[in-house]
Amino acid sequence: MKEKKSGLSLHKTTGLTAWSFIIIAVSIIVLFYFYPMIDALLLSFKSGMGANLQFVGLDNYKRLFTDSTFITAVSNTFFYLIIQVPVMIILALFISVLLNDSNLKGRGFFRTAIFLPCVTSLVAYSIIFKYLFAADGLVNMLLMKLHLIADPIQWLTDPFWAKITIIIAITWRWTGYNMIFYLSALQNIDKSIYEAAKIDGANAPRQFFNITIPMLKPIILFTSITSTIGTLQLFDEVMNITKGGPGNATLSISQYIYNLSFKYNADFGYAATVSYSIVFMIVILAIIQFKVAGDKDA
Amino acid sequence: MILKKLMAIIMASVLLLAGCSSGSKDAANKPGANGANSGKETKEITIWAWDPKFNIAALNIAKEAYAKINPDVKINIVEYAQPDTIQKLNTGLNSGTTKGLPNIILMEDYRAQGFLQSYPDAFYDLSDVIKASDFADYKIGPTSYDGKQYGVPFDSGVTGLYYRTDYLEQAGYTAKDMENITWDKYIEIGKKVKEKTGKFMMSTDPNDLGILRVMMQSAGSWYLKEDGKTPNLAGNEALKESLEIYKQMLDEGIMTIHSDWSQMLAGFNSGNVASLVQGNWITPSVKAEASQSGKWAVAATPRLTKTPNATNSSNLGGSSWYVLNMDGADVAADFLAKTFGADVDFYQKLLTDVGAIGTYTPATSGPAYKSGDEFFGGQNITADFAEWTKTIPKVNYGIHTYAIEDIMKVELQNYLKGKDIDQVLNDAQKQAEAQLK
Repeated sequence: MKEKKSGLSLHKTTGLTAWSFIIIAVSIIVLFYFYPMIDALLLSFKSGMGANLQFVGLDNYKRLFTDSTFITAVSNTFFYLIIQVPVMIILALFISVLLNDSNLKGRGFFRTAIFLPCVTSLVAYSIIFKYLFAADGLVNMLLMKLHLIADPIQWLTDPFWAKITIIIAITWRWTGYNMIFYLSALQNIDKSIYEAAKIDGANAPRQFFNITIPMLKPIILFTSITSTIGTLQLFDEVMNITKGGPGNATLSISQYIYNLSFKYNADFGYAATVSYSIVFMIVILAIIQFKVAGDKDA
Repeated sequence: MILKKLMAIIMASVLLLAGCSSGSKDAANKPGANGANSGKETKEITIWAWDPKFNIAALNIAKEAYAKINPDVKINIVEYAQPDTIQKLNTGLNSGTTKGLPNIILMEDYRAQGFLQSYPDAFYDLSDVIKASDFADYKIGPTSYDGKQYGVPFDSGVTGLYYRTDYLEQAGYTAKDMENITWDKYIEIGKKVKEKTGKFMMSTDPNDLGILRVMMQSAGSWYLKEDGKTPNLAGNEALKESLEIYKQMLDEGIMTIHSDWSQMLAGFNSGNVASLVQGNWITPSVKAEASQSGKWAVAATPRLTKTPNATNSSNLGGSSWYVLNMDGADVAADFLAKTFGADVDFYQKLLTDVGAIGTYTPATSGPAYKSGDEFFGGQNITADFAEWTKTIPKVNYGIHTYAIEDIMKVELQNYLKGKDIDQVLNDAQKQAEAQLK
């Protein structure tokens, strides 16, 4: 046998073969994922202008707690999170249940129409929203023509309305995306459960709360975690619709990171610290969500 | 057997790949290293700028002019959005490699000090290449650092009060009434204009405090103290008065709000806004609405009244050229020196073809600076702007202009909601001190 010439046992050869297959993927992952992560962590302990970075220990992390802009960015982001994620999840759930009804005509059309926003580019749709919600934009014109409001709403330049505009925009963009998850999960629920419920005399709301929601729980958990992460990383919409303004009323954490790195005099160290603060927040929120939803199903 | 062959092929290709990548690295490094060692000039330079109608158009004229002096040099002009140039420059310089960066970059004056101080060795010293004293005095502050001249000053951001003569006439004012006015007078006129024509006097974006910067610099003041590092907000008389004027204009209903640049342009192009205080680079945008020809005029920037040393000239924006310290820096410097740094004829062409007012003082005696503009009723706005440029107070934009402005934007909102002005400035000062180190 020729194999014997190589002097390696069969076991070793297959081991080597296996390694040679995964070594490329592993080294690329290490190089482009783990190395930057660790380097960013090290960077978060440094501070300084541009290339003049110096090791400052935990100063950056201490600075986070006294940095009012950071605190505003966090509270804005949580405002989006607390209002937008539940609204979107409930809306997506509601729409998906409606669309799952086999008696509904044109289901395919509605499904496509609601999912379509998800394929639009973030920047492109943000810019369109900016024009729709301008002081003399389409939304104000429509509301005024319908006599719902007398004066144009300052959608982009009033601190409160600007937040609402951002929430409307994200909801429009992401509801369809979450809806698809629910739809696919709904199709996996055994029809016989509903039939049994009907025989027992349960009406539609009852079926929804006692069958649909419990059956969808793992998916609801999954979508709420991905939406939470998505909201914490919110950037494109804020950057393009309001630029974080007026003042910093709509500033998101990610945009603050961008500002620290590229708008102000670059302090990449502190920017990395703020980035890591998002990591901590996501981890904590995910743990809470698992606990609240009960981790049995997940 | 087949498995083993396959395996051998895979291993070989892995090795080959590794070989390739290191090979290409060497290949890419070599010319650079050789060039530096042998002192041979790179005959190709790359320049980044952001506005095809303005600074890129200017570059094209310069490129043409330089082709006659040194035809061997190939000049690549690349257009990037302005924030992108900043991003790429930041990441490029920070990564420690100049690969992928241009030889010459256009940078806003407000940002220059930050870069010059953050990346001390990244820029090429131009002190011996151009004569700094040939340029408008106020441009030297932002473009030099530590006694060395790093930038070639480009456009002037000298501001003026652009106004609609027909609206003003309806309100009972003539060109004479607009000469060297104060902001108080401006508000008084604005109220009259609003009453007679229903038009707003001015339009502003709450996210862009340009107008406050104009007011501050007109009195020789800035967000930062002379050293360019210490925040200068609490007790800053000029800033305080500027904020008061800003609020008053909103309260009197003479200032409307827009939320982006195109809306601002639409404001005056549609005739809804009667005047604007902007840098002279807005001229092409004003002239874009040809139907308003002859209905515009430009007067000196209004001045503050309570603040000492207030003048009727100020600046908004403006940018300069910088040479990166890398291969080809000497060629790049030569290009700038022989065009933007010395060529009076070039500046004439720049003005007539692009409409850009440079800051190269000898150029102002040229013929292009002597003709009137029909759009502005025959007024020679260039000569006026050139005159105001001479008296722009010199301030140190420092390294934190945009960071402080973001703090001010928040406090401005609080102020508009009724917070006490001194408290506003004190809070902003505290925040700035905590944030900027």
